Amino acid sequence: MREQLELLRDNAITAIGTAYSEDALQEVRVKYLGRKGELTALMKGLGALSAEERPAVGQLVNTVRDEIEATLESSLSSIRESVRTEKLKTERIDITLPGRSQRCGTKHPVTLIIEEVCDIFAGLGFSVAEGPEIEHDWYNFEALNFPPEHPARDMQDTFFVENGLLLRTHTSPVQIRTMLKQKPPLRIIAPGTVYRCDSDATHSPMFHQIEGLMVDENITFGDLKGILTIFTNQLFGQKTGVRLRPSFFPFTEPSAEVDIACVICGGKGCRVCKNTGWLEILGAGMVDPEVYRHVNYDAENISGFAFGMGIERIAMLKYGISDMRLLFENDVRFLKQF
Amino acid sequence: MKLTYNWLKEFVDFDLSADQLADLLTMLGLEVEGMEKQGSGMDDIVVAVVEDKQQHPNADKLSLCKVNNGREILDVVCGAQNFKAGDFVALAQIGSVLPGDFKIKRSKIRGEESCGMLCSEKELGLAESSEGIMILPSGSPLGQPVFDFLKLKDTLLEIGLTPNRADCLSVLGVAREIAAKLGKKVENTIAVPTEGNVIADSVISVTVEDRELCPRYAARYISGCTIAPSPDWLVKRLAAIGVRSINNVVDVTNLVMMELGQPLHAFDCDQLAGRKIIVRRAVDGEQFTTLDNQQRQLKSDDLVICDCERPVALAGIMGGLNSEIYDSTINVLLESAWFKPSAIRSTSKRLGLHTESSHRFERGVDIGGVTRAIDRAAALIADLSGGAVAKGILDVYPEPVKPAIISFRPEKANALIGISLKREEIIKILNCLDFIVNEIDADILQVTVPSYRIDIEREIDLIEEIARLNGFDKIPTTMPVAAVISDRRTIQQSLERTVRDFFVTHGMNEVINFSFTTPDAADKLLLSTDDTRRSLIKLANPLIEEHSVMRTSLLPGLLETVARNINYRSLDLSLFEMRRVYFPTLDGEMPHEPVFVVGAFSGVREREGWSRTSSPVDFYDVKGVLENLFESLNIGAVKWVAENPESYYHPGKSCTIFVGRERIGSLGEIHPVVLENFVLDKPVYCFELDFEKIVKYSRLKRTIAVPSRFPDSTRDIAILAEDCVSSESIINCAKSFKSQEIEQVEVFDVYQGQGIPDGYKSIAIRIRYRSYERTLTDDVIGAIHDKVKDNLVNKLKVSIR
Repeated sequence: MREQLELLRDNAITAIGTAYSEDALQEVRVKYLGRKGELTALMKGLGALSAEERPAVGQLVNTVRDEIEATLESSLSSIRESVRTEKLKTERIDITLPGRSQRCGTKHPVTLIIEEVCDIFAGLGFSVAEGPEIEHDWYNFEALNFPPEHPARDMQDTFFVENGLLLRTHTSPVQIRTMLKQKPPLRIIAPGTVYRCDSDATHSPMFHQIEGLMVDENITFGDLKGILTIFTNQLFGQKTGVRLRPSFFPFTEPSAEVDIACVICGGKGCRVCKNTGWLEILGAGMVDPEVYRHVNYDAENISGFAFGMGIERIAMLKYGISDMRLLFENDVRFLKQF
Repeated sequence: MKLTYNWLKEFVDFDLSADQLADLLTMLGLEVEGMEKQGSGMDDIVVAVVEDKQQHPNADKLSLCKVNNGREILDVVCGAQNFKAGDFVALAQIGSVLPGDFKIKRSKIRGEESCGMLCSEKELGLAESSEGIMILPSGSPLGQPVFDFLKLKDTLLEIGLTPNRADCLSVLGVAREIAAKLGKKVENTIAVPTEGNVIADSVISVTVEDRELCPRYAARYISGCTIAPSPDWLVKRLAAIGVRSINNVVDVTNLVMMELGQPLHAFDCDQLAGRKIIVRRAVDGEQFTTLDNQQRQLKSDDLVICDCERPVALAGIMGGLNSEIYDSTINVLLESAWFKPSAIRSTSKRLGLHTESSHRFERGVDIGGVTRAIDRAAALIADLSGGAVAKGILDVYPEPVKPAIISFRPEKANALIGISLKREEIIKILNCLDFIVNEIDADILQVTVPSYRIDIEREIDLIEEIARLNGFDKIPTTMPVAAVISDRRTIQQSLERTVRDFFVTHGMNEVINFSFTTPDAADKLLLSTDDTRRSLIKLANPLIEEHSVMRTSLLPGLLETVARNINYRSLDLSLFEMRRVYFPTLDGEMPHEPVFVVGAFSGVREREGWSRTSSPVDFYDVKGVLENLFESLNIGAVKWVAENPESYYHPGKSCTIFVGRERIGSLGEIHPVVLENFVLDKPVYCFELDFEKIVKYSRLKRTIAVPSRFPDSTRDIAILAEDCVSSESIINCAKSFKSQEIEQVEVFDVYQGQGIPDGYKSIAIRIRYRSYERTLTDDVIGAIHDKVKDNLVNKLKVSIR
C-alpha cells in the first residue's frame, strides 16, 4: 500500500511535469485526485489494513494528496503566468486612432476674460456688482460729474431710449448704484455690457467693460498703482511693464490712462502699439469729490480709486485678434479655438 | 490738435528732440497721438550746382548735366527745361528716398548714366504742384542738405486733448505746459499794433444785449486794407496744420486762433448796416446764411452777432455770407469775444456745425486773453494788408471775471497722492504753472488761478496738478491696507458660471449676439399679437434699422447665428447664449432685464468616425441636455408639457417645461415657417430657459441617501399600447405602485412596425428592484412585479405582451 501510494505520487508528479496547459493539468487532477481518481481508489484499500497500520497509511495518503495538490497549484500558476505573458506580448491595438469622447465646447472669449479678471480681483477682496444696461441719464452721466451740455459727453456717443433713459455707455453707473446702497469700506468689480453709437474695425456698438472701485480710509494714488500693477502682471505676465500717464475723466481726479508694455513687440515698437512700445488698456483715477457728493459720502474722511477697461481690447491683445467684429460674428470656427 | 515743433520753439526755448518732446507732452497728459517728421531721412538731398548742361544724344527732351555737390562732380540726366548751367539746384543723390517711398538709384536713361535726380518742389513734397525743378538762390552752400538749408525740418505733432484742457488748444497753451515742466518761461506774446488817428468808437459801435451769453465782446477797426493772398510763410504755416489759406486777413484770424487759442472773426465793415454790432439772441425761426452758403433756421437759444438790420454771424461758430471778407473789402471790423460755452455747444450741436471756433468756445477760451489776441491780429493784418488800425479797442466787458482763489492744503495733496513733497516743492510746482501762491498759515495756501485755467476750480484740481507736474512715475507703488472682506458671489453669479460650464462640458459653444435686434423679430417668430415679447424698447438713434430695438428673446439672434454658420458650411452646431433680454415696464419704472439661456442644435450629433456612425440630432438630444442640467442643479419635479407649445416650435415636436405651476422654459424643433423666416433649410432644435427661474428652483443643498448594501434584480415588461399613451404615463404608473423595493423604472425600447398593429406601439420597460433590508428573493420580486403589471393593465389601456 505504502509503495502503491508512493508510486501514485511519483506518477502524478511526472504527469504534472508534462502537462503544458491548464486543461491538461485539470485532467491530471481528475485522474489522480478526482472522486473516481486513483487516490480515491487506493483509499478504498485502507479498510483492509490493520488498525495499527491505518493511521500511518492514512497520514501518508494525506501527505501524498497535499504534495500532488501543491505541485498542481504551482504548475498551474506558472502555466497561467506564461499564458498571460504570451498574451501581453501579442495583443496590440492602434493607439493612434482618435479616442471616443464628447468633445468639450468653448466659452466666448469675452466671457473668458471677464471670468479671469473677476477671479484676479476676487483674490484681492473685490466682490462682483452689477447694474442695469438701460440706465437713467443721472446714473450714467450726472452723478459721474458729466453735467448736461458738457463737452465731456462727446467722449461717449450715446444711444437714447425714451423717458430720459439711455443704453449705458460705460459700467461706471454701477459705482454710483453701489455707493448709494453701501457705505465704505467697499471693493467692487463690475463687469457688464455697454453701448455706444460707433461701428468699425475697432469699435462695436455693443461691447463690454469691467469697472473697479475701492473706497476706504487713506487710499492713495500709489495704492491704485499697486493694485493695477498686480492686476496687469497677473493678466499679462509677471514682468509686464506698467505706465500711468495723466488723463481726464469727469468722475476721477487725478485721472490716468494706464499703459502696459506692448505684449506684441515687448516695448520695442510695432504696428499694434503704433511704435510707442505702449498699449493703452485701462482708464483710472482717484474718485472725484463731486461723485462722493452725489452719493452722500464725506470726501474729507474717505478716499478711493476707480478704474475701467474694455474687455474686447484685452481679449484682442491676449489672443492677437485684429478685428473686433470677429468677436460678435460668432463663427464657430473662430469660437472653437478658445 | 495739430501744431509743429518749430512753432512751439518760437514760444518756449527747450532743448529736446521731437521724440523727447512727444514723450514729455504725453506724460503731462497731452497725449501725442501722431507725429509726422518733415524732411527727416532726406539728408541725402543736397544743394548742388549745375556746371554743364548738354542735350541728351538719344532724347530730345532730356539733357545731360554735370552737377557739383561740393565733393564730386556727378552725371545726371534731367527732363526739366527751366534751368541752365550755373543754377543752384536740389540734388537727390543715390540712396535718397523721396516722399512716396521713391528710391533714387544709379540708372541708365536712354543709354546715358544718371547718378541722381534734380528735384522739383512737388517731388520734395514741398508743393502740391510745380513746374520744372526747384532753383535755389545762387551761392547756396554746396553739399548742405536742402531741408536744413531751407529750414524745412519740422515735426508735426498731433495731440489728443482731453476735453478739460481747453487752455491747450493753442501753441501758446502747449508751450506753457512745456515751460512749466522744464521750469522755463514762455516768450512774450504781447504785440501791440501801431494805432492811427482815427478813433475806433467814432466809426463803429458795439452793443451787447445778452450779457449772460456774451460777457465780453471786443472789436477793432482797421481801415484801408488791401486784400491779397497771404505771404508764403503764412500759407505754409497754416498748411502744415491742415488749414487752407484764404487771404491775408482771414489767414491772420486763423493763425492767431491757433497761436493763442482765441477764435477771431473779421467782418467787412462796409457791409455792416450802421457800422454797428449788436449781440443778441436770435428770434425763433430767424433765417441766416452762414459762410458755407448754408441757410440756417435759428432759435431763441442761439446767440447771433447782428448789425442794425440783420444777423451777420452765428456767434462763436461761423460768420455770415453777407459780411465776409471779399477781395474788394477795404475796411475790416475784427471781433474777439467770449461766449458762454454751453450756449455755443447747444447751437453747434443742433445745427450740426462744428468749427475750430466752436470747438474752442464750447470748451472755454481765456476771457483774460481776448484783447491780447485782437491786438496781435490787428498788428499782423495792418502789416500784411497795409491797413491802418484805428485808435482803441471797443471792449464791452462790464463785469470783469475775478480770478478763482482756492484754499489748498499741501498735506491733503501728499496724503491723497501718496507722496511726501515739501511745502516749498509744492509751491514751486504751482508757481511754474503760473498760479500765484499766498501762504496763509502752516497748513493752508491760498492759490490764485490764471484766467486761462478754467478747469481749475477746486482743491482737488490743484492736487491733480501737483501729481501731474511732479510726474506719475515718481509716485511710489504701494498696496492698500484694508480689512478682509468676506463677500461672496451671489447665488445668481455662481450659477451663471455653473450653467456656462455645464453647457461647455456638453460640447456647446457660447455665442454673444448684439442686444439690439430688428423690429420684426417677433413676426419672424410667429408670436401672437398679444404676446408680451411684442412690446419693445426702441432706440431713438439706432445706427441701422436692423439694430433699432432691444431684444425680448434671444432666439432671433441665435437663429441668425445658426444661419450664418451654415452659410460658412459649419453644419454641425451646438450653440448656447446666456444674456439679458429687455422688457419695458409701466409708469417710468426701470425696464426689466432678465437673463435667459438659449441653445440651438443642428446637423449631426457626433461626426462619423472609425468607431461610430453619425446620426442627426433631434428633440431628445436637447431634452437630454436639459434633463442633465436640471439634475446637476438639483431642480426637482420638472414637468414636460406638450400642450400649447410656443408659436416658433413644431407643434408636435416641442414642449413647455414647468416646475410646479411655473413655466421655466421650452424646447422643440423650430417651426418650418420660422426656419424659412431665418433663411434656414435644415432642422434646428432649440431650448429656452428663464434663468431667474433656474436660480429660483435650484436646490444647492442636497440630502444624500446612503446606498443599499443588498443586490439588485431587474425585471422587464413588454407593453403594447396605443400611440397616444405616453411613455411618461407608463413610467409614472409603474412608479405609482408604492413599493419601497422599486428602485428605478426606465424605458429601454420603443418599437413600431412589423408585428405591431397600426396605431399601436411596443414599449419595453425595465424595473430595478432592491431592498435596504435584505436580499430580495424571486418570490418576493415576482409578487410585486405581478402587481405592477396588473396596475398597468388596469389603469392604462395597455396589454402586456
